[in-house]
Amino acid sequence: MAGFLVRRVGQIIPTLLFVSLLIFGLQQLMPGDPALILAGEERGDPLVLAQIRAELNLDRPLHEQYVLWLFKVLQGDLGFSWRIREPVAKVILEKLPVTLQLGLMAFVIACLIGIPAGIVSAVKKDQPADWIANGVALAGISTPNFWLGIMMILLFSVHLGWLPPSGYVALTVDWRQSLATTIMPAFVLGTGIAAVLMRHTRSAMVQAMNQDYVRTARAKGLAERIVVAKHALRNALVPVITLGALELGTLLSGAVLTEQVFTIPGFGKLVVDAVFNRDYPVVQGVVLVVAVIYVLLNLAADVLYILINPRLRHA
Amino acid sequence: MTPLLEVRDLAVSFATDEGTVRAVDGVSFSLAPGRRLAIVGESGCGKSVTALAIMRLLAPNARAQGSVRLEGEDVLAASDSRMRALRGGRIAMIFQEPMTSLNPAFTVGDQIVEAIREHTDASPSEARAQAIAWLARVRIPAPERRFDEYPHRLSGGMRQRVMIAMAMACRPSVLIADEPTTALDVTIQAQILGLMRELSEETGTAIVLITHDLGVVAELAHDVLVMYAGRVVEQASLDTLFRTPQHPYTVGLMGAVPRLDEEVARLATIEGTVPSPRAWPPGCRFAPRCPFVIERCRTEVPPLAEVGPGHVAACVQAPLDRFAAAA
Repeated sequence: MAGFLVRRVGQIIPTLLFVSLLIFGLQQLMPGDPALILAGEERGDPLVLAQIRAELNLDRPLHEQYVLWLFKVLQGDLGFSWRIREPVAKVILEKLPVTLQLGLMAFVIACLIGIPAGIVSAVKKDQPADWIANGVALAGISTPNFWLGIMMILLFSVHLGWLPPSGYVALTVDWRQSLATTIMPAFVLGTGIAAVLMRHTRSAMVQAMNQDYVRTARAKGLAERIVVAKHALRNALVPVITLGALELGTLLSGAVLTEQVFTIPGFGKLVVDAVFNRDYPVVQGVVLVVAVIYVLLNLAADVLYILINPRLRHA
Repeated sequence: MTPLLEVRDLAVSFATDEGTVRAVDGVSFSLAPGRRLAIVGESGCGKSVTALAIMRLLAPNARAQGSVRLEGEDVLAASDSRMRALRGGRIAMIFQEPMTSLNPAFTVGDQIVEAIREHTDASPSEARAQAIAWLARVRIPAPERRFDEYPHRLSGGMRQRVMIAMAMACRPSVLIADEPTTALDVTIQAQILGLMRELSEETGTAIVLITHDLGVVAELAHDVLVMYAGRVVEQASLDTLFRTPQHPYTVGLMGAVPRLDEEVARLATIEGTVPSPRAWPPGCRFAPRCPFVIERCRTEVPPLAEVGPGHVAACVQAPLDRFAAAA
């Protein structure tokens, strides 16, 4: 287990280096001279331009620029937002908790709905409960998030007045208000993923329920709920975890439309604003952070696999 | 004396898209304590379905009729919770595929402990001690260490030993073994059969052995039931059946066993194939493949008739001695 972790973490380093190369390359491909943009009014003065280039190391060869940039990134310096006039790292750190909260809430909702629904539908295969679960899942996958979001605002905020229609309150400020402002967008995001999780849980469980060890468990005289929840589910979870990690990664990279509908100031909104304003350092910073989140989630999924499936421990 | 396990007119049918298919038809037998009965036949003859019907482990689209009595109790009419108490407690089962019959996600020890704790009041530590004792008893080396290992670390033979330990751990009165050695190497087969015989003699557990292999039958069984196409065609004690088989199908099966003391150009086979349960032939179901077939066989279902003491066969021509004389 310890050896596996060391090896697995070791594999992350080349992945992250590759990601950093891509992001750095992207930076080079972008149109426009950063020095010209930063110089502003004084763009006619070659001395000022030279000074800015020297400050930003733009006068050095590319590979040196990359190494210098990489060291800065490793120290947490992601550059400076041209538009917000603040360090990118600071901007991201402000938005990250919002996206984390929204993403995790959506993920919990998705798991709480998707996995039990998948299990029920597998156990009651080809029976009414299965048809209903499949129908609801299809509706969940097919419903656009922004539409469901608007409908929920209409119902719960406009008609019933139970929840605020938009805005965000940080958990640290007032946790009740915070949950009230995020529960609708989290639900909207969660239902779509719940439907996907349900479909995958169902197919993995249908397969697991046909395995010989399930028959053995029944032959031992175990109650059906133990056969399902312990013997079959444990083995069915591996593909569900893979999918869950990917879906959580998508959630944590920002939900552009949903954040727009509910005016939640998360990653999605940050990226959209940055792209429209050509605030490239922010775009790069967010891409880098999202890439790291994905890599870490995959690592977490791998660790979960071997906790669940002992055969992989010796692979 | 009431038999331990009594099966009367057991019939199993499956509801399929193409209508109802009757896989097992009128199977009857009884098993006394400590006896070992082999149910023999080719793939698809209904022997495994019979075993699963006794355990009530058939798929939901199956329907079992007739009667199965375990120590006088009607198994087919038992409630689900009563059935769970019987399964693993009074009647246990081991399967053909040791590689896939254990759950890969749990240690072998946990899987045995689970069976013990389900049927007894043993505390976790008592159950652990019992499980280790059973692992030792089925001759698994270093049982304390093996207890904490996962099934994938064990060979097929070892896994089948674990299955036997798990099945025997609650001291059932009947053990159903469905092709327990088919997936194993020949040398391991002999060890497992020896182990089963020994455990059955020591504990008094009766065994129903499902197999297609007459060699396995000879190793373990007291009595033999031969099935063909969902029906019992012959039943006798091991000796009688091997010496004087009275059904042409049994004779064919014997002929298909390779022998070392006779030189033959090629192995004898039974011509044709087992009919499909969707289209059983009328009359005797073996008639299309039978070398002794006469017109009556194709229209009349032969009843199981006594052909000798404790020996029944379902053939209108039995006893077959006159054919032996002719040949």
